[in-house]
Amino acid sequence: MSVAAPARLPRSAGITRLRREGAIAPITAFAVFFLVYVIINPELLTRFQLQTASNLVVPLALVALGQLLVVLVGGIDISIGAIMSLCNVVFATQLEHVPVPLAILLAIGVGLACGLFNGLLVAYGGLPAIAVTLASAFIFGSLAREVLDRPGGGITKAIYLATSGELLPYLPVSLVWLSVVAVLLWLLLQRTALGRHIYGVGSNMESVRAAGLDARLTKLLAFGLAGMVTSLGAMMLAASTVTGDPRSGDAYLLSSIAAVALAGAAFTGGRGSIIGTVLAACTLGLIGNLLFFAGVNSYWQYVISALIIFTVVGLPVVWGKVAFAVKGRRP
Amino acid sequence: MTDARVGAAVPAAAPGHPDLPDGPWSPGEALLVATDLVKSYGPVQAVQGVSFQCNPGEVLALVGENGAGKSTVAKMLAGAVTPTSGSIAVGGQPLAYGSVRQSRQSGVRCAFQELALVPDWTVAENLSLPDGAPYRGFSQKKSVVAAAELLEAFDLPHIDPRATVGTLSLADRQLVEIARALAGRPKLLILDEASSALTPPGVAWLFQRIRELTAEGGSVIYVSHRLGEIAEIADRGAVLRDGKVAGEFTRGSWTDDQLISLMAGREAARFFPDPPARTTDATALSVADLRSEGVHGIDLSLGAGEILGIGGLQGHGQAELLRALFGAAPATADSWTVAGRAVSGTTPVRSVRHGVGYVPEDRKREGLALEMSVGENLLVPWFKAYQLGGRPRLSRERGWIDGILGALSVHTRGPNELSGALSGGNQQKLVFGRWMNRSRTVILLHDPTRGIDVRAKQELYEAIVDLAKQGVGIIWFSTEVEELVHVCHRVVVLYQGTVIDELTGVRLTGDAVVGASMGLRAAA
Repeated sequence: MSVAAPARLPRSAGITRLRREGAIAPITAFAVFFLVYVIINPELLTRFQLQTASNLVVPLALVALGQLLVVLVGGIDISIGAIMSLCNVVFATQLEHVPVPLAILLAIGVGLACGLFNGLLVAYGGLPAIAVTLASAFIFGSLAREVLDRPGGGITKAIYLATSGELLPYLPVSLVWLSVVAVLLWLLLQRTALGRHIYGVGSNMESVRAAGLDARLTKLLAFGLAGMVTSLGAMMLAASTVTGDPRSGDAYLLSSIAAVALAGAAFTGGRGSIIGTVLAACTLGLIGNLLFFAGVNSYWQYVISALIIFTVVGLPVVWGKVAFAVKGRRP
Repeated sequence: MTDARVGAAVPAAAPGHPDLPDGPWSPGEALLVATDLVKSYGPVQAVQGVSFQCNPGEVLALVGENGAGKSTVAKMLAGAVTPTSGSIAVGGQPLAYGSVRQSRQSGVRCAFQELALVPDWTVAENLSLPDGAPYRGFSQKKSVVAAAELLEAFDLPHIDPRATVGTLSLADRQLVEIARALAGRPKLLILDEASSALTPPGVAWLFQRIRELTAEGGSVIYVSHRLGEIAEIADRGAVLRDGKVAGEFTRGSWTDDQLISLMAGREAARFFPDPPARTTDATALSVADLRSEGVHGIDLSLGAGEILGIGGLQGHGQAELLRALFGAAPATADSWTVAGRAVSGTTPVRSVRHGVGYVPEDRKREGLALEMSVGENLLVPWFKAYQLGGRPRLSRERGWIDGILGALSVHTRGPNELSGALSGGNQQKLVFGRWMNRSRTVILLHDPTRGIDVRAKQELYEAIVDLAKQGVGIIWFSTEVEELVHVCHRVVVLYQGTVIDELTGVRLTGDAVVGASMGLRAAA
């Protein structure tokens, strides 16, 4: 065909994919952030501080992964904070009545049901995700208050220990749980056809449909899966704070969207990575702590978060322009 | 089959024609039998009772103007559109409609004009993912190896299976799409304008694949506007007009003019207008050593009223050149003037102010706001934020809008119709029409006649020549060599981002353009 095939540099497929999914910038940002953090506060690497820090970021990272799944299929989940609150209180109250595994399954089931509810309306009803999830946020939020109207529940010391405590030597156990979920999710997205369909649906739904794939089912499953991952975040939060709280998820809505934005995901869908999202959530979750140790007023943490997002999202754009200007001048 | 009365409209449908019901072929032997297909969208009947059949090992062409219903028929065969009534049988079995998946499983594959590839997937993913269940493992490595083998087997070694489809040229994307359709060794392959972005060697490649497929007993439904291709590849064909079969033809029994008349429903001949005589020596645009992404130092000079053709294979910098000249891509040059005024670091907004107009490659994505009305789309470059908009503006500009719609004979219910409701050819006319009678100095055209019907093409040629008569300089990139040879004063051929040859006068021949685009510089 075309006579001149452009010469291609051999490049590792993994790096290429990370770059395509926008993960290089958040990974770099996290590395820099972590370095600065350790320089300002070397105590982070002590057992206690590391555990506190991970307990802080793990729920956010999990919820951000849930948000990522929805964003990948071209949606956005405004109800994610409410789903989190609902699962949180379901988990905390059911612990008073049923055995622990059943309570976990119930919480996951509630998350799945919320996700599927949104997904049905979006994928099969053809309604815009932002409107559907905004409306369902009110429903799920009210349900959460109905289940438990003030902080409480039956979370025990043993559950705290198993999810967020000192179960393992040195390594915070919450990080282990996060890694397990992230790796499973990564396997699903990168190593199963369903995962690739999720990326494809976000990239171009019409093309996926014209290729003979079930785009609506894929969308529905992505929403359901997002609900399940969110419920895991809700349980980690309930366990690490040893309490169920019907408002606990509220703060996570904007943070999860911010983490996905910082991860370089495309809000039109089809682009975004697991590792980038996890690290972006860690960065955002720890800014408050860093400023505390640096002696900065904690109100500044939002401004700093904003600056980090601007920088990380803006750098690739600036980089592209500079690279072109340099190349263009060369004769 | 259509009744003999309609068929008799064409010389080919003489008695003894194999497709008449009493002919030697019985429907039982046909691979595909479509009976009385009807598709209505609300009150609009896109297809009204189309019947035809296709035998094993045969290439059946579907031709017709835009809006004649070819694409709808192709989509019904592919399972993407459910017919309102009528039936389709493949190999004697009724086809399950409404699902591309089921249709694929019964051995029907389709390559669409509007590409059905996922832009963020790699070539390998696009080739392998549509087959098989969603709940199975997927290995990038295996899919890349399989895709590389497939591309090798189909003689497409220049496409990297790891490349993201969105980064490929339009022609390469079309090749991938065709390769994907071929990969399942389909019983019936539907090519819906699948060659519209292909270059001559690409079309030759496609024909080679079609012959391989038909040799194995597969059938091909070939939907195209390019009569030259149909003459070469089609064994038989059906002409659609206004959603009905207007006539049929067999290989070698027709001429371009007959077919065009049949498609248009009137006497029409395909002809290319001559470029108008130039009345002035003024320069409309000149640029020296233009550099941009994919453009490596191009010198151009365009006179007022001159039609300058840009030739070459796709992906050799033509799209980038036009985008750079319009300011849609960053570019630098040693010197750059439009109508004698120096230009540097231009943007589309400044270009419009300088008197440049641009008809981009992809009318649906870059050319039109499909959710906005016909009138608003025509006015798009002329809207200033502080000016009046909406209906008051439309009624004020009514004279100009009606003039353009009339001059290009756009088929529309009026300036308030949504532009997304128009057929491809009419949409293209809108993208072009917005620059007419607006005192332009230069108009840049990116393959404006791609995928539009013969009549619309003719109307665009006339409009282009008229603009040149008014003294507008025109830079026209076309993948159809004949357009370049007949309608342009001068043609420059790009190769790997630079001008490899400039052809005028006696040197301006089809062979010279094709030769130069392959990288051969013809002797003067």
